[in-house]
Amino acid sequence: MTITRRNVLLGATAAAALAPIAARAQTSEVVIGVTYPMSGANAQIGVDAQHAYATATDIINNKHDFDLPLAKDAGLSGLGGAKIRLVFADHQGDPQKGRAEAERLITQEKVCAIIGSYQSSVAVTISQTCERYQIPFVSADNSSPSLHTRGLKFFFRAAPHDEMFTKAMFDFYDALKKKGTKIETLALFHEDTIFGTDSANAQIKLANERGYKIVADIKYRSNSPSLSAEVQQLKAANADVLMPSSYTTDGIMLVKTMAELGYKPKAIVAQAAGFSEKALYDAVGDKLEGVITRGSFSLDLAAKRPMVGKINDMFKAKSGKDLNDNTSREFMGLIVLADGINRAKSTDGEKIRAALAATEIPGEQTIMPWKRVKFDELGQNNDADPVLLQYIGGKFVTISPPQGAVAEAVWPMK
Amino acid sequence: MDTDFANRRRRDLIVAFCLAAIAAVVPLFVKDVYVQNIMVLTLMYGALSQSWNILSGYCGQISLGHALYFGLGAYTTTILFTKFGVLPWFGMIGGGLISAVIAMALGYPCFRLRGHYFAIATIVIAEIALLLIQNWEWAGAALGITIPMSSDSWLKFQFARSKLPYFYFALGLVCVAWFVTWWLEDSKWGYWWRAVKDNPEAAESLGVVVFNSKMGAAAVSAFLTAVGGAFYAQFVSYIDPESVMGFHFSLLMALPAVLGGIGTLWGPMLGAVILIPVTELTRSFIGGSGRGVDLIVYGGLIIAISLARPQGLVSLFTPKRKEATR
Amino acid sequence: MGLLYGLIAVGLALIFGLMDVVNFAHGEFLMLAMYASFFLFAFFAIDPLLAAPLVAAALFVFGAVVYLLIVRFAVRAKANTGMVQIFSTFGLAIVMRGVAQFFFTPDYRSVTHPWLGGKTISIGGIFLPQPQLIGAAVAMAAFGGLYFFINRTDFGRALEATREDAGAVALVGIDKNRVFALGWGLGAALVGLAGAIMSIFFYIYPDVGASFALIAYVTVALGGFGSVFGAFAGGIIVGLVEATTALILPPSLKSVGIYAVYLLVVFVRPRGLFGSM
Repeated sequence: MTITRRNVLLGATAAAALAPIAARAQTSEVVIGVTYPMSGANAQIGVDAQHAYATATDIINNKHDFDLPLAKDAGLSGLGGAKIRLVFADHQGDPQKGRAEAERLITQEKVCAIIGSYQSSVAVTISQTCERYQIPFVSADNSSPSLHTRGLKFFFRAAPHDEMFTKAMFDFYDALKKKGTKIETLALFHEDTIFGTDSANAQIKLANERGYKIVADIKYRSNSPSLSAEVQQLKAANADVLMPSSYTTDGIMLVKTMAELGYKPKAIVAQAAGFSEKALYDAVGDKLEGVITRGSFSLDLAAKRPMVGKINDMFKAKSGKDLNDNTSREFMGLIVLADGINRAKSTDGEKIRAALAATEIPGEQTIMPWKRVKFDELGQNNDADPVLLQYIGGKFVTISPPQGAVAEAVWPMK
Repeated sequence: MDTDFANRRRRDLIVAFCLAAIAAVVPLFVKDVYVQNIMVLTLMYGALSQSWNILSGYCGQISLGHALYFGLGAYTTTILFTKFGVLPWFGMIGGGLISAVIAMALGYPCFRLRGHYFAIATIVIAEIALLLIQNWEWAGAALGITIPMSSDSWLKFQFARSKLPYFYFALGLVCVAWFVTWWLEDSKWGYWWRAVKDNPEAAESLGVVVFNSKMGAAAVSAFLTAVGGAFYAQFVSYIDPESVMGFHFSLLMALPAVLGGIGTLWGPMLGAVILIPVTELTRSFIGGSGRGVDLIVYGGLIIAISLARPQGLVSLFTPKRKEATR
Repeated sequence: MGLLYGLIAVGLALIFGLMDVVNFAHGEFLMLAMYASFFLFAFFAIDPLLAAPLVAAALFVFGAVVYLLIVRFAVRAKANTGMVQIFSTFGLAIVMRGVAQFFFTPDYRSVTHPWLGGKTISIGGIFLPQPQLIGAAVAMAAFGGLYFFINRTDFGRALEATREDAGAVALVGIDKNRVFALGWGLGAALVGLAGAIMSIFFYIYPDVGASFALIAYVTVALGGFGSVFGAFAGGIIVGLVEATTALILPPSLKSVGIYAVYLLVVFVRPRGLFGSM
């Protein structure tokens, strides 16, 4: 009795698992795996990412008059016009599930590459799995510097990591200082996750190197029910610059608590994340006039490169939002990956890897303010220059670096 | 009656042996990695749930903090291996022993607590441990620890693509956990626990011995859970505090036993065999929509089973005997 | 802040403490209340402060329905009542999160520009945010009301008697289910009140309840089951301990203080500070 039930159950499991394989098997398709948190606390990120990838897929698979790789013709010319198809998987922010989903995508859906994954901890296990199966993993929006230094051959990241972002902030401070603005003390406010820790480590390192004094280093538990004790300490430290590394939820809480406790920092320079999310500005935007955040994307680019505006419109039609720091990186990540597959003229993992390693896309052919896309031997693109954006009058303007700036920074913030 | 009981126990042993033998052959036919992965997880949760069952089911001390021991096991092996080069096999035993000692140290004050007070104390202790590790730089803090990749090796218990070694290890763990439970059922301890569970006051006459037996249960339960944690660390080859010590893990460990039949020999495994594949499949095939349908299905299933079969699904198979022993 | 924890915990104190039923979906009740308050604001421009009674009423109905549909059966279970309660309400929590994500999307919401948003009173350099002050006042009123209710009214006595011995009260003609359904409704209504106040200054998303649930359990248990005053005191202690811990330890460890105090208290007094069971 027990035995037969068990067997039936296993059989049913196997059948359910095998079904998608039978349904597949068209050669004119290139399948790419996409893993994001689609449920749980960060589900919103996953849903937004779906729209960003859908926009990129539309541009790759259909004819568009953009100066982007693969936009002008339909499908991948290197593979006889094959279309790309995305398979989404939910990892719920859990490294184990990320690994299991990556394995499923590779062995069942036969994807030729995986792109993802928002949380850096999940990127660790996904990229390891990809390495074991010898297929490329493109990290679209993970910013942890520890990811690319593990010596993985199949890991690629076109976007900047936290150390590059942080360097941009300190370059900006140095420039302001030269002009006579007083910036001496910094207060760090970061969550106790991989993102917060990496970001703070980079900030501490650079502050020491360049002679800034850290007067408060507040590490807090993410999704805390209350941040009043933390904000009290920030207020007491009263640094020249407050540097938060927080996701949306804690970002909202931080700003609200600061207002309640009457703390107005002279300037806020944020490590994006929550501070580039629309939800945060919807909630507390009026209190954030003059906040500065790092970013890898700026809509100001649309003035110089009209396609940026058009692509933003395409994305907005799907999602109801403008492209932001995350979604723009996701969009660009897929374009870079597809370009690699196209030049590899194959869906073989090793060939795609070789093609990606030889990537050379000039900055003008991206939607980003980057110099170019070219990977170093660790799979990191060191020419992805971050920008600093200031929130003024309800939208972001680029204030740094000088070559991309459209306005002078307002300092101190109001 | 006595011979009946002896017969049942002999039959349980034979059935278990047959099931284990069948399970051992399955992966030779089912080669799909994804399905194998689900099988490994099912076995792992079966084993964890069985260990939880020893303390919470048989002994009646509802622990909702078993993630503590799971995390301790995972962290001990990983740290010993990455920092001191100690092979995971020794780390596993070490983690188990550490967990067992800690379980006894915590049991000493905690076993005085009753009901909800005890359950909340276990949650809170596990949360404290989680927060401490999350803030402990040397142990990787929030960054977690990655076990460096190496070529396939039994010594380091690492295999790049093959799931079979993990599968057999998990199967072995299930068998050990099951056998320990089977053996305890008929031991002196087993009788005391049943007495304590049914009537704590009356059993107070047993006093000190019962307290000691509870400590024993906690130690055994923690040891096995920690070995499970060590296994998980090797299996995933990356650990961070949230993913091995989170509160949801404590619930996930208890869930199969509760749904399958708490305080029963077969309950935890039965619960795991049903629950884990459902969890994985709903996430993989409908979770990608980002609309939370997988959560609704999963939660609904839990409500339905726990209400429809409060004594556990195992009662479906043994209706008559259940009433006889109750 | 302590009183606010108290406010969240008071509904739980009623359900958990007085009826001896574990509700693992408590955080999700709070989430629902916050969404209710948000939608009332977004569609009908009703300020959360005014919406609070409406939300409480809605939650009352919801709580009673949950009792009648799910918890009634869990309490009746012959075997493992405790575990069945824990896991049926845990299942409910997961379903509620899923449903919230399905209908409300995972976007973060917040009530923009409520009357009291961001307003603070400053007394001698100490800033007291108005929403929290209101929350504290509501919490005190709720506790007072509940205390009176339990100890002075027939229904309160019926509730207590029903928990003690359902069989005996049935003999004097009290229907256990009706009493408990009303009790659940009331508990949920209090959560509704808390949710409406919270929505003034907290963001809202499907998983928001999780951050508060554990603290609420600890608060109730710290004060002791079966004691309304205990939950009130528990809330204040939790708030104070949290603030003090954050001064001594890194703020990311501030919950450790709360947990440690709980352990200390129950090791010394196994029934919490004012518990009767």
